Amino acid sequence: MKLLTKTTLYFLLIMLPVFAAGAFYLYTKFNKEIKYETDEELVNDKLQWMRYLDTASVNNPVFRISTPEFNLQPTEKAAQSKHKLKGVNIYQEPENTYAPFRQLSQVITLHNNNYELVLRKSLIEKDDLIKNVVFVMLAAFAGLFLFVLLINWLISKSVWKPFYHSLEKIQRLQLNKMEATVFDHTVTHEFNQLNAALNSMTTRIHNDYTNIKELTEDAAHEMQTPLAIAQSKLELLLQDDTLSEAQLQSILISYDELQRLSKLNHNLLLLAKIENQQYPVTEQPDLCAVIEKYLSLFEELIREKDLIIHKEMTDSAPWPLHPALTDIMVSNLLGNAIKYNYQNGRIDIRVNASTFSISNTSELPEIPADMLFQRFKKQNTSYTNSNGLGLAIVKKIADSYRLQLHYNFENGEHTITVITAFSH
Amino acid sequence: MKVLIIEDEPALRASIQEYLERQGYICELAADYKQAINKVNEFDYDCVVADISLPLGNGLDVIKELKLLESRAGIIIISAKDSLEDKLSGLELGADDYLTKPFHLSELNARVNAILRRKNFDGNTTINFSEITIKPASKTVLVHNKSITLTGKEYQLLLYFIANQHRVVTKSALAGHLWGDEYDQAGSYDFIYTHIKNLRKKMLEAGGEDYIKTVYGTGYRFG
Repeated sequence: MKLLTKTTLYFLLIMLPVFAAGAFYLYTKFNKEIKYETDEELVNDKLQWMRYLDTASVNNPVFRISTPEFNLQPTEKAAQSKHKLKGVNIYQEPENTYAPFRQLSQVITLHNNNYELVLRKSLIEKDDLIKNVVFVMLAAFAGLFLFVLLINWLISKSVWKPFYHSLEKIQRLQLNKMEATVFDHTVTHEFNQLNAALNSMTTRIHNDYTNIKELTEDAAHEMQTPLAIAQSKLELLLQDDTLSEAQLQSILISYDELQRLSKLNHNLLLLAKIENQQYPVTEQPDLCAVIEKYLSLFEELIREKDLIIHKEMTDSAPWPLHPALTDIMVSNLLGNAIKYNYQNGRIDIRVNASTFSISNTSELPEIPADMLFQRFKKQNTSYTNSNGLGLAIVKKIADSYRLQLHYNFENGEHTITVITAFSH
Repeated sequence: MKVLIIEDEPALRASIQEYLERQGYICELAADYKQAINKVNEFDYDCVVADISLPLGNGLDVIKELKLLESRAGIIIISAKDSLEDKLSGLELGADDYLTKPFHLSELNARVNAILRRKNFDGNTTINFSEITIKPASKTVLVHNKSITLTGKEYQLLLYFIANQHRVVTKSALAGHLWGDEYDQAGSYDFIYTHIKNLRKKMLEAGGEDYIKTVYGTGYRFG
């Protein structure tokens, strides 16, 4: 929920009881006023009637008058010096409802006869009053509602503008382009504080990022150089004709292991680099072309195992991924599909603009999904020429570049699917 | 053919020197940026093998200097930094090739060989080894003046062997040369044997001698 929507909602929620209270207050106030006025009129009427009856009862007639508004009946009750006022509901025949009335009653004495005098006045206006009060209140509330919406819209357009501006910048922030991001000065104190904090944060992050980047590269340099020296010395040693077969074997094994170590180092650095987002998306290489490239590169391996390759590919599939990473992703996935396949097995490749899936037959059982993409989790120790980083790298690429990665095992076929979030 | 090796690690410098000299190149050495600048200003080289990270300066600046001098030397960068920017800026400055440490000496030698061939003869030359003649421009191979048909990989193998003639070339070096960084995806080096077997068969059928010797299971030696 937007902040503005939220504040508006809260505001309206608070206004609701305020308006209700206001309506109630107005209603009681008006009600009282009407009652007071009606009572005054009733008392006035009483006085008029008394004066009239006083003169009209000279000949001592017996009055017996009964109308809803005026009632005069002889009574045995004792005369009362003061009138009583109260509200009553009286049945209205035409409408079949009860209508509110104010009633004045008093036992009076006319020439030694006691009469009960009842005067009534309709309070039918009271209904209208409620209607009017509610209507006015609703109109005011609706007016306020529209007003608040309009004001909020205007506020969001002007006052919140720097905030949204900063937000947009944060969303588009890229680690390797961070130093170019500056959060501008605004006229609002709070936003200035926010932007100042963001500025110092991006500077700090950028510095850390640069440090890590330098560290990774330095580490690579520092480790690769001794490896290069050792490897070159062993390669020269291999040229020595005077060495025995066993000695040459030992040298060769050391030589190969050194290469494995350097490859491992290389891959760990690659993981760090991908994590540091050091491969920006600047172009959209054609995934189909990359796959074709690696299919021809691995041609011998495919032929050696007599694998059946089944392709379902669109003419082109531009993927928003750095070309180097596209190469790594395809070679790792295709390489695995070949490496873990059996003789006369099959590989299914499906590619379009948003999905890349590769299935292969294998003697390996289903792999627990949580193990699959972990570093150094080798599925089968008989494959020595594996460093257990291939899928971890693919996973890292997927995580860092918002690709979805799925693994599925069905009918002896392992399927890995990569889906780009920018699907068309 | 004169090659300048600019590398600050003495042991690695010596290894490169030893391997390249055995293949018939004359090597000169530079241990830091200053020495490198002095050497390239003083002498003409056919090829310069340059490390990027150097004491007193940067290998990329040596390349700039070479270009400033309008040197015709082929340039190969050897760097421990497998950073894309370094690679691109190196190639943009006019380097001919880029090799990440650690590398196989046989691979470096093959690349020096290829660059020299390209630079000095614009590719219009033949490579001769006894009865074998290779015309790189048309990628044709003749044995006793009889043309033989090789696959792309077999052709690459032959060139690599001739460049590293009389040296033991390991299977991993061959695999790295033919398949690049991806060879470890393969799972084994067995498939190299198939290519070598086919190459050997084709050359024998054309009346050539069997130059490819298997060395104690460690690799192969040509010639």
